[in-house]
Amino acid sequence: MSSLKMFEKPLGMRDTFPVIYEKIETVRQTGREFLRARGYDFIETPSLEYFDTVGKASAISDASLFKLVDSQGNTLVLRPDMTTPIARVATSKLLKEKIPLRLAYFANVFRAQQTEGGRPAEFGQMGIEIIGDSTVFADAEVIITAIRLIQAFGIESFKITIGHAGVLNCILKDYTESDEQASTLRKLLVDRNYVGFEEAVETFHLPKTKSDALLQFINEATTFASIEEIEKYVRKNDALEYMQQLVELINAADLSEYVALDFTLSSHMNYYTGMLFEVFADGSGFELGNGGRYDGLLHHFGSEVGATGFGIRVDRLLEVLPSQEAEDVTVAVIFNDLEYMKALQVANRLREEGKRVTLQSKKGLINEEAFTKQFDQVVYVSQEDLA
Amino acid sequence: MDELTIAMPKGRIFEEAYQMLIDVGFNLPEEVEMSRKLMIEIPEEKIRFILAKPTDVPVYVEHGVADIGIAGKDTLLEQKRNVHELLDLKISQCYIASAGLPNTKMNEIAPRIATKYPNIAMNYYKEIGEQVEIIELNGSIELAPMIGLADRIVDIVSTGRTLKENGLVEYEHITDVSSRLIANPVSYRMKSARIQELVTRLKKFVN
Repeated sequence: MSSLKMFEKPLGMRDTFPVIYEKIETVRQTGREFLRARGYDFIETPSLEYFDTVGKASAISDASLFKLVDSQGNTLVLRPDMTTPIARVATSKLLKEKIPLRLAYFANVFRAQQTEGGRPAEFGQMGIEIIGDSTVFADAEVIITAIRLIQAFGIESFKITIGHAGVLNCILKDYTESDEQASTLRKLLVDRNYVGFEEAVETFHLPKTKSDALLQFINEATTFASIEEIEKYVRKNDALEYMQQLVELINAADLSEYVALDFTLSSHMNYYTGMLFEVFADGSGFELGNGGRYDGLLHHFGSEVGATGFGIRVDRLLEVLPSQEAEDVTVAVIFNDLEYMKALQVANRLREEGKRVTLQSKKGLINEEAFTKQFDQVVYVSQEDLA
Repeated sequence: MDELTIAMPKGRIFEEAYQMLIDVGFNLPEEVEMSRKLMIEIPEEKIRFILAKPTDVPVYVEHGVADIGIAGKDTLLEQKRNVHELLDLKISQCYIASAGLPNTKMNEIAPRIATKYPNIAMNYYKEIGEQVEIIELNGSIELAPMIGLADRIVDIVSTGRTLKENGLVEYEHITDVSSRLIANPVSYRMKSARIQELVTRLKKFVN
């Protein structure tokens, strides 16, 4: 193996330079204030978790986990998401104190990748979880919070698409002849392979009414404007009624313009038991975030309460954020050795005015012109200024 | 109306697909200058074409710099990128097959497969329970069995003429291939009306 160059970093790891750092801080502050005002408590969990608890239960595929081994021989993982650790904490500790819980997080998660650039292996995630509430109101709260949070960041062009695992399963079950067929079709929908879906339906040799219904469903499934339109495909069931209520609640909050229905939405994880959604925004080619109800994960940790939430990827949020003008005024105070005392006073006075002040000795500068160019104002401290 | 960026593979498929868009009623100039330009703007239809190497089309679409694109199913299977596969355009139809010298068996210890589709080949042999070693080549795959580099090749076959001329025979049909309309997941939502309309028009034409 060739030796590593000094500047190299592991694949997918990034440095955060000052400009980006400030952007992230703004996101953190905006998000924190917003979510706290809605009654969410922030929480942090360790970066390292056991593979057998959090790693296995996580929705992130095994190949994307960073694994290491501790001195007792247990396999550890760098947390690949926040939902699983929070489910672990909630079920083992917090749920005894307050139900339902409203938790929020802003933390870095880690996902290994072997392919190519453009995909960070460590990135920030911000989100909420409501644990211990199985009502449709909790799901509505999650979606409304997601919309309001994105608006709080100043993003206007975005869309949330909502589906329901129960509705999709019902359709797939009713129009196919075996569980195997239904699961083949579900897998194709997870990959968003509509062509493959149609081909698979052809190869099943289903009765014509069934295959026609499936083909027509897949044609229309992403363009339904209301719940009524899907009713012709699916017999009355609880899931559909649930979605009806959810849509009404979002309408009541007057946010329906941001929401679209997509009943092909499907997750590779079977613990997404109910409503699930994805968040998209103009400006990034990748999904901004996602969420949904995951009662199954709580069940995995031995608790039978409902849980729902969402997470937004901070790295993608930065791509779609409207650009902001830097408000700070930067000042360089440059002094000669003898005027140090006075320079300190000048600097303090300027700082009190709310300016960002850099105190720099003239002797320490190699290229004064290049240095001072970086600032909005330059103040030279000289004898005459002494008053 | 949203501006739509379409990633197209350079060459023969571009011409076929372009003609298809004209046939379904898009107001595009009959003759496009196919010199060395990599980008073609059609302001009347608010469409912008970018011309890419066929195997690169899914890259542009996955990153969202192109909203939709036209890519071969072989490329999609090989790269497994996160794009939506919307429509089979049924152009440039062919298939992927394994081939080798006539009347030969694969080496029993470590059969070697030469291919420019390492993932497709690996998945295929894995599924039929055959442990093989993959040798990746970028072109003239037919050479490999002829000079003893590999027992079999996995490659695209359209007429079978190249195989025949090099004295090879087809062994197994692996999968059918044709050009597909693909979409970026975000564009698919944010420009849903435009993309759906395009899909509906093309679908009618293709079937």
